[in-house]
Parts: sequence; C-alpha cells; structure tokens
Amino acid sequence: MKPLASILGAVIAAPLGWIAGLAEAPLRLWQRLTGKGGMIAFFLLPNMAIFGVFVLFPLIINIVYSTTSGSALFLSDRDFVGLGQYERLLRCDDYTNTLTCQEDQFWTAVKNTAVFVVVQVGLLISIATATALILNREIMGRSFWRAMFFFPVLLSPVVVGLIWRWILDRNGALNAALVGVGLDPVNWLLERGWAFAATIGITIWAHLGFYALILLAGLQAIPRDLYEAAEMDGTPPGRVFWRITLPLLMPNLLVVIVLSLIRAVQVFDEAYVLTGGGPGTATLYLTQYIYEVGFASLLKNPGLASAASILMGGVLIVLTLVQLGLSNRNEKKGKQK
Amino acid sequence: MGRIALHNIRKAYGAVEVLKGIDLSINEGELVVFVGPSGCGKSTLLRMISGLDRPTGGTIEIDGQDVTRRSAADRGLAMVFQSYALYPHMTVWQNMAFGLQNTRMPKAEIAERIADAARLLEIEPLLDRRPGQLSGGQRQRVAIGRAIVRRPTAFLLDEPLSNLDAELRVSMRAELTALHSRLGATMIHVTHDQVEAMTMADRIVVLRAGRVEQVDTPLNLYNVPNNLFVAGFIGAPGMNLWPATPETKGSFLLEGGTKLELPHLDLAGPVTFGLRPQHLRLDENGPLTAKVTLVEALGAESVVHAELEGGVRLLAVLPGQPDLALRSQIRFAFDPAALHVFDAQGQRVKTG
Repeated sequence: MKPLASILGAVIAAPLGWIAGLAEAPLRLWQRLTGKGGMIAFFLLPNMAIFGVFVLFPLIINIVYSTTSGSALFLSDRDFVGLGQYERLLRCDDYTNTLTCQEDQFWTAVKNTAVFVVVQVGLLISIATATALILNREIMGRSFWRAMFFFPVLLSPVVVGLIWRWILDRNGALNAALVGVGLDPVNWLLERGWAFAATIGITIWAHLGFYALILLAGLQAIPRDLYEAAEMDGTPPGRVFWRITLPLLMPNLLVVIVLSLIRAVQVFDEAYVLTGGGPGTATLYLTQYIYEVGFASLLKNPGLASAASILMGGVLIVLTLVQLGLSNRNEKKGKQK
Repeated sequence: MGRIALHNIRKAYGAVEVLKGIDLSINEGELVVFVGPSGCGKSTLLRMISGLDRPTGGTIEIDGQDVTRRSAADRGLAMVFQSYALYPHMTVWQNMAFGLQNTRMPKAEIAERIADAARLLEIEPLLDRRPGQLSGGQRQRVAIGRAIVRRPTAFLLDEPLSNLDAELRVSMRAELTALHSRLGATMIHVTHDQVEAMTMADRIVVLRAGRVEQVDTPLNLYNVPNNLFVAGFIGAPGMNLWPATPETKGSFLLEGGTKLELPHLDLAGPVTFGLRPQHLRLDENGPLTAKVTLVEALGAESVVHAELEGGVRLLAVLPGQPDLALRSQIRFAFDPAALHVFDAQGQRVKTG
C-alpha cells in the first residue's frame, strides 16, 4: 500500500509543484509592487470574482429587469416601465379576494406560501425539538436512530419529490397498501387538502434531520448536573423543560427557526416535483410562480418574474435581519454570562 | 435529624463493581469527609446517598427510615456539585428560589429564606446577577446558598472546592467548617485532598477501590492507621514505609540491608515498618545511616530526602534549617514507640 500511496502522491504533487513554481515569480513581483494590502486583494480576488459574476451581477440585473416589460431576453430589446411591474403584481380591486387581483396567480402563490410557512415551520420546529429530545436520551440504538433521522437530508430534493410521488401516486405504494388491508384508496396528490398537506409533510420529513441535529447539539451542550440539581430539588419534568431546557436551547432554537423560515419561504423543488403546483393552484408556491412566469409559461414575462423575486427577496432580507438581531442579542447575553 | 446509615451498599456497572459492600453510619450533625484516590468510589457513594443513582445492593437509611427506593427529591437532602451546577440563565435569586418553588412554598417564605441565606453567606449584593458575572468563589457560595435555603436534613458536597484556586480553597475550607458548626446540620464532603479531609472532618472515611479502609477521627487516622494504605495516604509528606524481615528476636533486616535492633518487638514473618518523616531526628549514634539526596528548606522546617543502604528511600522532616551537605552520610534516630508495624497483609500489628 505504502509505495503505491507515495507514487500516487508524487504523481499528484509534481504537477502541482510545477504550477506553483510558475506562479511564484509573478506573485513575488506583485507583492513587491503592491505590498501586503495588494496580496490580500490578490487572494480575495477569485472568490470576489465568483461572487460578483454569480450573485452581485444577477442581483443588479434582476432589479433592472424588474423595471422593464416584454418577453425579449436581451435588455436592449426591452421597454422601460419603471415600477409598472410592481404595480401589476400588487394591484387588487378587493384585497380580501385574490380573484379580483390583476395577477391573481401571484396572490394565490403568496397566500399558499404564507400558509405553508406558518404550518410547516410550526410543525417542523415542534417535531424537530421532540426528535432531538428523544435522540438525546439513552435509548436503544441511539446512533441508528440519529442516522435514520438525518438520512433524508442527504437526498437530493428531486429524489425526495420522486420517492414520495411513487408512494402517494394514485397507483402508488400507499394506495396499494390501503387496498391491501381492505381500505379505499385516496387520491393523495389530486385532492387539494391532501396535496397541500403532502408538500408540508414531505418537506418536514426531508429537512427534519438537519434541524434536529442542530437542536441535539444544543441539548448536549447543556451540562448534565443542571438536570441533577433539578432532580435533587424534585422539579417536575414539565418545569425542567420550560425553565431549564428551553431557555438554554434558545440560541440553537433561534437559528433553527430563522433558517427554516427562510427555507420555507423559498419552497420549490420537492413540492414542484411532487405536485407541480396542482391540483389547480392548490400547491402553487411563490418560487414556482416566479419560475413559471419567467421561464416556463408560453408568454414569458421576465420583468414580472424579476419584480416578484425582488419582493420575495425583501421578505427574506427582513427575516435575515431578524435573525442577525436576535443572535447578536443572544451573544451579548452570552458575554454577560 | 440527619442520621444516615448505609448497609452493605454495592454498585456495579455491568461486570465492574465500583462499590463492594459499604457499611457506614453517620451521626446527626456530623461533618464526615469521604476521601480516597480517584476511582475509589467516593463520588459514586455520595450519589447513592443522594438518590441520583441507585445501588445494586444494600440499603440506605435516613433517620431510621429506609430510603433506598425513594427518589432524590424525597430524601430531604441537598447537594452542592463540583461544577456548582448553577442555572446560567437565572439570577442568583432565581437560582436559590427554583427548588423552593417546586414545593409551592409561599412567596414570602421563599424571600425570607433567601434573604437569610444571602446574609449568612454574604452574597446579598449578588442576588440580581447571573452566575456568569460571578467569580469562582462567589459561585461556590451561591451553590451552597441554594442548598441552605432548602433546609435539608443533610448536605452532600461533591468536591466543592476542587475548582477554586489554592488560596481561595484554604479560606473556603475554613468557611465551610464554620458554616457547619453554625448550621449544625449533617454534612458529607467528598474530596481527594487529604489535607482538606484532615482540616475539615469530624470523622474521615478513607475509601479505596470500592471498600472502606478506615473510619475515624482525623488524628486517630494519623496516629493509628489501620493498614498500609491509610498510613501512606494520610499525612504529608507521606509516611516512610520499609519492608523488613526478622533475623533473630528483636533484630530486623530492612530491605536494602540496613539492620535495625528493636528489642521490644517479637515478630515472625515479613513486616513493613512505617515511620512518619516528622518522627526522625538527627543523632550521631542513631541506628539509621542515610545519604542525603535532596534538602527542601521551607524555613520553619526542612524536608530531607535521603537513601538508606540499598537505595531505600527515607524522608525526614527536621525542624529549622539544619546544615546538611548533599551526598553526606548522616544518622537518624527515632522513638521506637512512634514506629508503626504492618504485617504481610498490610494490616496493623499491635505492638503493645
């Protein structure tokens, strides 16, 4: 083994060394010309370039697109309409009825997303906390269960969507099982309520392990003798949870809440593969609306899609600021400790 | 109130037996110290008494009642943890109130008890702070305060001083002892530090490998150790222990070759002689000849490291600052009455 490894090592290292050697002379020259600050800029450059090309530039272009109209792809062929696209998105005759809105699909997507976020995040956090609490106990096969709950996180969202489509399809595994035990099959993905619930359920299943893991780490950081001190005092289990576990878990819980909120607002891939937004618009979420308006529908409207994505970005920025604010407050509290 | 009796307490984790049958009775108001090297089972024993762990065998009685199956909360004991185990997100006041609130005690009484304890421990200015804003010594006091407000039948202290620096430890040691005499409550204090045990305890329980080696007052342990382990463990610096074999009546050959005439001893079979370093004195006609290897002069006394014949180590504590050259041969004498004798099994041999 050893000679093979060292040969491999040499084979890989030699060209790397050669390339590094090539880079040395210009690097030295650059350093002499610009000093230490220049070197810092030099090392930051690749990352800044990637960030600029793939994040900053599209962001700016997106803002520009949101002020134009038409289905043309190139900016030079597009007409400037100012805030017209935003106006179109936001205009409703009666805000209590999405059907009276000019872009009723947008409002349907907003409503669906809002309900999804509230229900999914609420359930996700509760179940993740409960899971973490159980996995933190000395139960049989603890490592096995931890792996089981984390495993779905490793799957690609598309795979998650496909697996569950096979299960929930009209002729899928779940209905076969129901029929097998003598029950009537249910059209899981073609009934509005079930389809909506299914998107919530499978996104919870797919993300649960990740959040449970963060919470589990928080639970394990709580010293065991705090619980022993509480036990000596005869503290009832409920009080231990509310007065000791929960407050000490709060930093991790905050991270989990904000991360899952942001991710829920952006819900797309699993749900799209599972239901495609249907039946009708029952599971049409904001990201899917943006995708369809901008790229997939017959009458592409990149300007409208850009405006919608900017609005969604605004919501995400607010959520992120809330997270930053809360975690800063937590850190300050932590320093007091 | 506060009598604790242990009968044949055993604890095994799987095949590993940590406590091998412990019998002990602790009197009301006594300050008992469990001492022993790490892994001897002293903390495990304390946890059995506290109820945080259950013994695999034996019974625990508190004030005559069998509490072996009772939960920790129902034993009326309070524990001070090595890490203090203060709730970091609560103020000192909340920390002290937390346990009392479980019992639905009236608010006024809670406030009164906390005020009393805070006055006693001089932590009144700290009541609104969080544990993170306190020094180690202050946290220690709060942890004790949290135990005091419960008015327990006995206090259990699990190495409470081990996280303090040396200077603070000495002063907290004295404070704890003073607190004990003021409260008059039973206290069980666990430590691995024999000086702590000697200075604080009414009685010391010396533990080794899950067994009680000896239970006695500090001075009795020092003066009349039951066996080789206690002899070597109690007292600093440690007792000189020299294996020896009797040659003729009253004449012994120490390991290494030194001959010792002890006409008052008539023993058969191999023995071990024990002699405290403080009981050796310089004497030109003394029976022990040793070569000086190191002198630690402490001012008031000097610790002399020396070697008997055959390289057997000898430790002597001499008063003052004797002028001893390194590698010089000096002679020691001792009072034969100060000599401890242990048999081949390490048990004390009575010498009259």
